[in-house]
Amino acid sequence: MAATDRQVREAFIELTDTLVSDFDIIDFLGRLATRCTELLRVTACGVLLADHHGQLTLVAASTEEARVLELSQVQNSEGPCLDAFTMGVPVQRGDLGDGDPRWPAFTAAAQAAGFSAVQALPMRLREERLGALNLLNAAPGPFDSDAVALGQALADAATIGILHQRTLARQEVLAEQLQVALTSRIAIEQAKGFLAERLGIDVDAAFGVLRRYARANNRRLTAVAADIVEGRLDVGRPQLPDVATGVRPRGRGHRDRVPLCSARTRRDWT
Amino acid sequence: MEQAGSVGVWTAIVALARSEGAPASLRHAVLACAQSLGAAGAVFSMAYRLSVGTAGIRGEPLLACGAIAGELEELQFTLGEGPGVDAAAGRSPVLVPDLADASARGRWPAFAPAAVDHGIRAMFAFPVTAGTALIGGLGVYRAQAGSLPRQELANALVFADAMLVLALDQQSGIVPDVDDLHDTALATRRAHVHQATGMVAAQLNLPMADALAALRAHAYARGLRLSEVAADVVARRVRLSAGDMPPSHAPQGGISPDDADPPAPPSSIVPD
Repeated sequence: MAATDRQVREAFIELTDTLVSDFDIIDFLGRLATRCTELLRVTACGVLLADHHGQLTLVAASTEEARVLELSQVQNSEGPCLDAFTMGVPVQRGDLGDGDPRWPAFTAAAQAAGFSAVQALPMRLREERLGALNLLNAAPGPFDSDAVALGQALADAATIGILHQRTLARQEVLAEQLQVALTSRIAIEQAKGFLAERLGIDVDAAFGVLRRYARANNRRLTAVAADIVEGRLDVGRPQLPDVATGVRPRGRGHRDRVPLCSARTRRDWT
Repeated sequence: MEQAGSVGVWTAIVALARSEGAPASLRHAVLACAQSLGAAGAVFSMAYRLSVGTAGIRGEPLLACGAIAGELEELQFTLGEGPGVDAAAGRSPVLVPDLADASARGRWPAFAPAAVDHGIRAMFAFPVTAGTALIGGLGVYRAQAGSLPRQELANALVFADAMLVLALDQQSGIVPDVDDLHDTALATRRAHVHQATGMVAAQLNLPMADALAALRAHAYARGLRLSEVAADVVARRVRLSAGDMPPSHAPQGGISPDDADPPAPPSSIVPD
């Protein structure tokens, strides 16, 4: 396998380190998605959690966010993640080009998004089912069995990490934590839409802006999204004055407003 | 799966409304919630902000089923502490299986003992939100200590989702049928609906909660599904205009307690 022992060890340490006071589940699952794409050498990875309606919702993804998001929504009616989640076992299809009678709609959507192979891994610990991990490859071919085993081990570590919080605190913490993840995710989608409109770009590009700003300023995606939707962050575009004049959000005089597009400038200063 | 529970919640709300020969409303949701969870009381509170840009969120009990629950809900906002206050501030459910234990008393030194004195041992508070946009909160009060069983917890969350749609509709003067309500509540779990909400908020300079209400009103007026209109907005095939704004929107998100209906908080649904 491509991943070194050291990388694998670091990933596990990272995914079990959930007992910190400022634990953020969206960040945590985002790291899971990133580690999976790096270590398993897959094109994209999405993390789906089940909500209280029994619907699978994408809460984090590797950089291929947009394509994974669409595929996640399809999987509430059919797909490998729904199967992995309901049956609690890994589900694989090495070549979607052959078609798959189990999931005609998912197969079509995955191919349209440019994916040829899919692997779904359940996120569960005994009877506790949280969701599923979705691994996607652009190139057809079965997933390496070592990679699948490592992926499942990472999914298990993350699941235990989340549930661990509960055993140490209270049973209720898990339910609270999952709701926070779903609510934060909604705020991220709202912020994407808000940015897309203000900057005249599509929602995927808006997510890129959001993520870059969060990283450049060493802030959480969730916190930046909340600042945008609550009007605490200026979404102006200083380099385009004609746009900037029209884009002052609501003008309610927040004192701590920070221009979003200064992210690059700030990084250059340091 | 929990899908069944989700449908069950809507059936309970609608059955209650039908028994009164009335369209389903927030009031029916609060009542059905208390009944289905075997609670001593349930309360829906409206959220509003004291000032812009601060954490100064306050609530006002609007619909109370059970007099004690109504009093305790109000007490939380008076004291500025309690599970409902924390649920609103953190946009997260706060589930307290035993208000008499040390951790609950430590966290809410004034509220927890008061609740126990009033014969309430467990309280489950759920924010009613669209993302971080806070509309209000649902408080479920139980006489017995103990966790909410898994299915009841899932149902309570579905009730909170139902209350989101019913509150937005009440604000916009929409009186929808049950299929439409259920469809809309499910749509509020979809990513593109929230992307569209963000776009509308930017287009019309609205807070997120009002943008969602505007999107919903636009769909309702044209007999379309919320999910369809949202897809059109994201694809920029549709752009909402000021005419889509809900008739009564509060300056900073949510519904202001002044123009909400019914008025005098807390009003009890059923006499105790």
